[in-house]
Amino acid sequence: MRANTQGLRWLRTTAYNAFAIGLGILAGLLVVVYAGGNLGVALSSLFLNPITLSGGVQQIFVRFILFYTMGMGVGLALKAGLWNIGAQGQLLIGMVLVFVAYSFLAFLPWPVLYVTMILGAALGGLLWIAVPTILRVKFGANEIVVTILLNVVAINFAFYMLSGPIKSTGTALGFPHSVELPAQFQIPNIVGGFPITYAVPATIAMGIILYLVVERTPFRVKAETVGESHETAKYAGISIPRVMTITMLAAGALAGLAGATYLMGYRYELDIGSFSTNYGLVAIICALVGRKNMLGIGFASFFFAYMTIGAESMALSANVTTYVVFAMEGIMMIGILLGNYLTERKYAL
Amino acid sequence: MTVALSDILIGVFSTTLQLSPFYLFAGMGEIVSEQSGVANMGLEGIMLMSLMTTFVVDYMTGNPWVALLAAIGVAAVIGALFAFTAIRLRMDQIASGLAIYLVGLGLSFVIFNTVYPSGLTPNYIPLPSLTTNWNVIPYVGIIFLKQNVMAYVSLVLVVVTAFFLTRTSLGLRVKAVGENPKAADNMGVNVNKVRFLATLFAALTFGVAGFYFAGNFVPGFQTDVIAGRGFIVLAMIYFANWKPYRTLFAALSFNIVYAAQNEYVTLSGFGVASVSTLFNMLPYVFLLALIPVFGRKARVPKFLLKPYRKG
Repeated sequence: MRANTQGLRWLRTTAYNAFAIGLGILAGLLVVVYAGGNLGVALSSLFLNPITLSGGVQQIFVRFILFYTMGMGVGLALKAGLWNIGAQGQLLIGMVLVFVAYSFLAFLPWPVLYVTMILGAALGGLLWIAVPTILRVKFGANEIVVTILLNVVAINFAFYMLSGPIKSTGTALGFPHSVELPAQFQIPNIVGGFPITYAVPATIAMGIILYLVVERTPFRVKAETVGESHETAKYAGISIPRVMTITMLAAGALAGLAGATYLMGYRYELDIGSFSTNYGLVAIICALVGRKNMLGIGFASFFFAYMTIGAESMALSANVTTYVVFAMEGIMMIGILLGNYLTERKYAL
Repeated sequence: MTVALSDILIGVFSTTLQLSPFYLFAGMGEIVSEQSGVANMGLEGIMLMSLMTTFVVDYMTGNPWVALLAAIGVAAVIGALFAFTAIRLRMDQIASGLAIYLVGLGLSFVIFNTVYPSGLTPNYIPLPSLTTNWNVIPYVGIIFLKQNVMAYVSLVLVVVTAFFLTRTSLGLRVKAVGENPKAADNMGVNVNKVRFLATLFAALTFGVAGFYFAGNFVPGFQTDVIAGRGFIVLAMIYFANWKPYRTLFAALSFNIVYAAQNEYVTLSGFGVASVSTLFNMLPYVFLLALIPVFGRKARVPKFLLKPYRKG
């Protein structure tokens, strides 16, 4: 009986989520058609371009890795009731540290430096989130406010590093950017010319490991109890500062790590173009859609990777600004929250 | 070329007085809203929509006052929508706030781009300065008289909000529903109605803040033009412990630091952009540094972010 209710509930949630996503897509289509775009072209751009356009499949997996890695961090902190709005800042610091390691630790032998660059990015994100973590745990300062402030600081800091310490000396003109990582520091493709790198299976493996470590151990209950009520957690003898610190630091490290896979697996160089899009917010949406579950976030991330590329391509097909994608994401998010509300109302005691 | 110290100081103070009202308008609204238990994280989205409306209506009518009304109107509609999701539907306020932000971020530019696809626009007509011959009084004139009337309205709003929250019965009810909605309900206060009014008031002030942004911060509309300044308001009122006068202090000191580093960077004319971006971090680092000092004693409204269900 209980299993039946659970199944029905799952079905209902899925239906609502699909409806919410449909609503967002509909809004995007309306804008595109209003701007004079052809409905058929828009639909085929949205659904087919991500796989038919050259580089589309690569883009899907690049974003999937970004959203999944960052989203797991956001979801982990959310389990403990903590909002990491600063994933974007941690991502940027991670990216910067990849090049800091590359430029300043160049004396290290190749395999050591390679690993250092990846771990350095994770360490950068971890250090960046250590500030809100300490302020939260020691001073009770709200983590939302602090992570928001640190996003602005991160952008300025990254810009400073990029126009000074890690700037490519070869370019006098144009916007500052770093050097390009040479081939031996790029994450290779699994199969020759097919642009899917080893970062993809590595990320999925990390997702499964995190699923086993987080969802299949008492840690999940601990974190969720802290997230639900500090009173209850205290009563149950759970160390609240410990749970907060672990989830927050892991969130920062994951966002930083995403910076390494993005740069070493796809972009190879850092420029201010990498600062413009707020992937941190998409990571939050993925964490919510995936219901904070380490595997659920993976499916949500893959979907949003596909959808955002399709939606951008759809916007371009009708000469509409790609900013329409943000509006679509916002509408989807509201719709998903509405679906949660309707499900809870139906099954609330 | 040497620049007189008096010129530098005038520059810093006039910039401070020019920029602070944006934070004050939004800050007063967010204080009232959060005191009632509802945090609006979508404020920057609402501001972007109002700012876009301000420019478009101003271009079309040539009248900044009409633009102000339109900006407030747009903010009210989005604010009411947010209030409905957060209060009536009891959605997670942070999540729905971020959703509102995303919609505002995207939609504001989509609409602007549809109206002015080439980006070529008429000239923006700002509100006039307090007096046209602000030059008549040296020093004081450029700091105090060059501003438009909305700068002073923001200062009045600080006083009014402080009075409202401590001396009026509605203000006390606002605080009561944020502190202990159950008790307020038992005393016959309509919790969700008070919250709705507080949230709507906040949205109106975001509309005014968006309007004020035009001309005083930027000459025209672009993508993501507020660039996180709206979110900074959340940090300011947090540091100010939800107190209007302290928010005034926070806004003024943040902007003095901002204006001073800005003046310094401009005057020293760094050849490379690199060092100037380090200075750009200063106002934010300054706010951060204040959090462990002042935020330590922060008394968050007890039922902030917690929806209320009668019964």
